[in-house]
Amino acid sequence: MNDLLSMMARHGYALTFCVLLAEAIGLPFPSAIALVVAGAAVASHTLVGPTVLLTGMTALLLGDISQFWLGRYAGWALLGFLCRLSMNPETCILRSAESFYKRGKTTLLIAKFIPGINTMAAPLAGSMKMPFGQFLRLDFTGAFLYCLTYLLVGYGSRDFLANLLSGFHAAGRALEGVVIVALVVYAVYHIAQAVKYRKYDVVPRVQVQELAARLASADAINVQIADVRSHGYYDRGAERIRGSIRIEPNNLEEEIKSLPKDKDIYLYCT
Amino acid sequence: MAHLLREKGFNTFVIVGGLTAWRKAGEPLESVPKDDLVKLPTFS
Repeated sequence: MNDLLSMMARHGYALTFCVLLAEAIGLPFPSAIALVVAGAAVASHTLVGPTVLLTGMTALLLGDISQFWLGRYAGWALLGFLCRLSMNPETCILRSAESFYKRGKTTLLIAKFIPGINTMAAPLAGSMKMPFGQFLRLDFTGAFLYCLTYLLVGYGSRDFLANLLSGFHAAGRALEGVVIVALVVYAVYHIAQAVKYRKYDVVPRVQVQELAARLASADAINVQIADVRSHGYYDRGAERIRGSIRIEPNNLEEEIKSLPKDKDIYLYCT
Repeated sequence: MAHLLREKGFNTFVIVGGLTAWRKAGEPLESVPKDDLVKLPTFS
């Protein structure tokens, strides 16, 4: 704990700023942990509370504002790019957008507490044409709540963190065991995922030329092409395959009611 | 999604390469209808 605190004393504000800014612009950095450590440093009088709070909020707001304007001008293309970093790119945007549907503008107040949505909230607000002043007020409040919460957690758990870190030093072998178990769990999880998704191989895949030939034949009446993009479809000036219909992935149960069961359905995304 | 639709009795296929491959092949496209664009959620 003393090593950590001495490092925080030397670079605490800069570290807090960089980690929070990195996460705000979409990089996978643990801003909550940085704030908890900073809170512990405040408790031990290594850092000054209001300054850390101001530093953290400044970093978050800088990142969020840049993402807001990128979202405004790059639209859903930026969201698609950010979502490529996630485990499930196709549902990433939909999950974030769904949060806006359900909670409305107040999503910005809690977004930073929700992994996945935290990075997407600002660019989504930009692409959804939220007025900048309104965004700034909500995001400022959200950043304040987020920073204050985790700083207080760190402040209140300074002794716990000290015990935890000293425990790590004393129990190096136990830590190795934990790492090995974590690696095994990781490997098992990925094997299970591979087995789970193997069933998707049963869906036939067709080449463009094959489908085009069928469309040019008399058999075209038995073909229905469906656009299932989760993003890009709603961009201004967007195009789709001629004659295709839209299936909104976020509303599948309703959408399939109007799908023809007597036709072969060809799905495509970006 | 194709698998989900298959489970519900639809005969589905997936176009390899999606819209990008279709465009590259020079196959016909059309603009997304304006009626669809109103689905885009906005705060303005």
